[in-house]
Amino acid sequence: MTEFYDKYSSALYGVILRIVRREEEAEDVLQESLVKIWNSFHSYDASKGRLFTWVLNVSRNLAIDKIRSRQYRVGSRTQPLDDSPAEHTPAVATFRPEHIGLQDMTRQLNPDQQQIIDLLYFGGYTQSEAAEELNLPLGTVKTRARAALKVLSKLIR
Amino acid sequence: MNIEEYIESGQLELYVLQQLAPAEQAEVEQLATQYPEVRAELARIRQTLEGYAEAHAVQPPAAMRERVLGGWQQAIRSTEPIVTAPQPAQAQTPAQPEAVVRPISAAEPAETGSSWYRWLAAAAVALLVLSAGANMVFYNRWRDAEANLLAMQSDQARVASTMQVMEKRLGARTQELAVLRNEQFAPVVLKGVPAAPGARARVLYNASTHAVYLDVNNLPAAPAGKQYQLWALDKGKPVDAGMLTARTAAGDSLQQMKDIASAQAFAITLEDAGGHPTPNLSALTVMGQI
Repeated sequence: MTEFYDKYSSALYGVILRIVRREEEAEDVLQESLVKIWNSFHSYDASKGRLFTWVLNVSRNLAIDKIRSRQYRVGSRTQPLDDSPAEHTPAVATFRPEHIGLQDMTRQLNPDQQQIIDLLYFGGYTQSEAAEELNLPLGTVKTRARAALKVLSKLIR
Repeated sequence: MNIEEYIESGQLELYVLQQLAPAEQAEVEQLATQYPEVRAELARIRQTLEGYAEAHAVQPPAAMRERVLGGWQQAIRSTEPIVTAPQPAQAQTPAQPEAVVRPISAAEPAETGSSWYRWLAAAAVALLVLSAGANMVFYNRWRDAEANLLAMQSDQARVASTMQVMEKRLGARTQELAVLRNEQFAPVVLKGVPAAPGARARVLYNASTHAVYLDVNNLPAAPAGKQYQLWALDKGKPVDAGMLTARTAAGDSLQQMKDIASAQAFAITLEDAGGHPTPNLSALTVMGQI
């Protein structure tokens, strides 16, 4: 598990921090994630995607549960996502240096695209909540998410 | 169903983002088994989101590492029975091309750490039990030794008192022997009167120190209430020379009698117990001249 921690902790911590936005809570969630990954490892189905995706989703879901359970969202909903501390923390250079930095990535996305991804991926919003938040029809949420991921996909390749 | 359109709809993105209802999820999974394009698209979306997540990576503070791993270890130890569940999953993972499963087994040192403590505790208990057993054995041996020691001590006391008695008797005999070997003592043989022909005794008289010893060879047993008495005859006049003890009368040992200044003859009479100032001549038993 120590090896696992060394390999994944920064990625998981970054995502968790991006969601809960408080370092103490992020630490709690990171620890809960390790326990959950350990205990529910048998439910990981390799045919449904890579381990990393699964691990990310476990952490992400726990982080989202956290903010929901504390009704964290009530206060933070109007807070612009760009204000999160993670936004201002540069990606760690030693971690997968072949990847393009966050700055470059978000610069390539138009604001609408970034907003939709961040709401869905980091905000814990359901697609209908996102549609409501952005005042968009459900279908547009879908297509906009696809467009955003297409842009990102090109950057990541 | 036009699969191109389905892919373009953004449904797959929502699937990977875990935004779909269970029924829609099942549909996507079913299509993925059917169409390689769907599978490829899903893989691409996942990879993109992974990349996006990695781009947000934040190195946690160094101190957090110990805290989080420590907390994790504590948490899994408290849910130990559940931990056995991942075993089949571990067996299945080698089929997967990635080696990312390794970190899970890397947790084993932590596990062996806790089992090491368990072994240590077991060893401690075993030692305690052994020690208690040894204590019982040694306690029993100690009690045996204590009992033996007491027996030996009483034995030793008995031997010592016997020794004392023997020494005393030896001292008495040595003294008797010294008297017998001393040339200054003149032996006077007392012979039985006609009434007691078998009776015989001997007086050892030292004229210069006036010491008198009596050595009985044979005297009839004294009746109850009677005791033999030794007399010295000085110029025909009887002088009391002391009572014979029962042991002397039985011929057991020499007895020192009263000192006699001068005498020409000795005689023994049977008197009432405790003696008499004058001899009862009718009860004369033995007599002898110097």
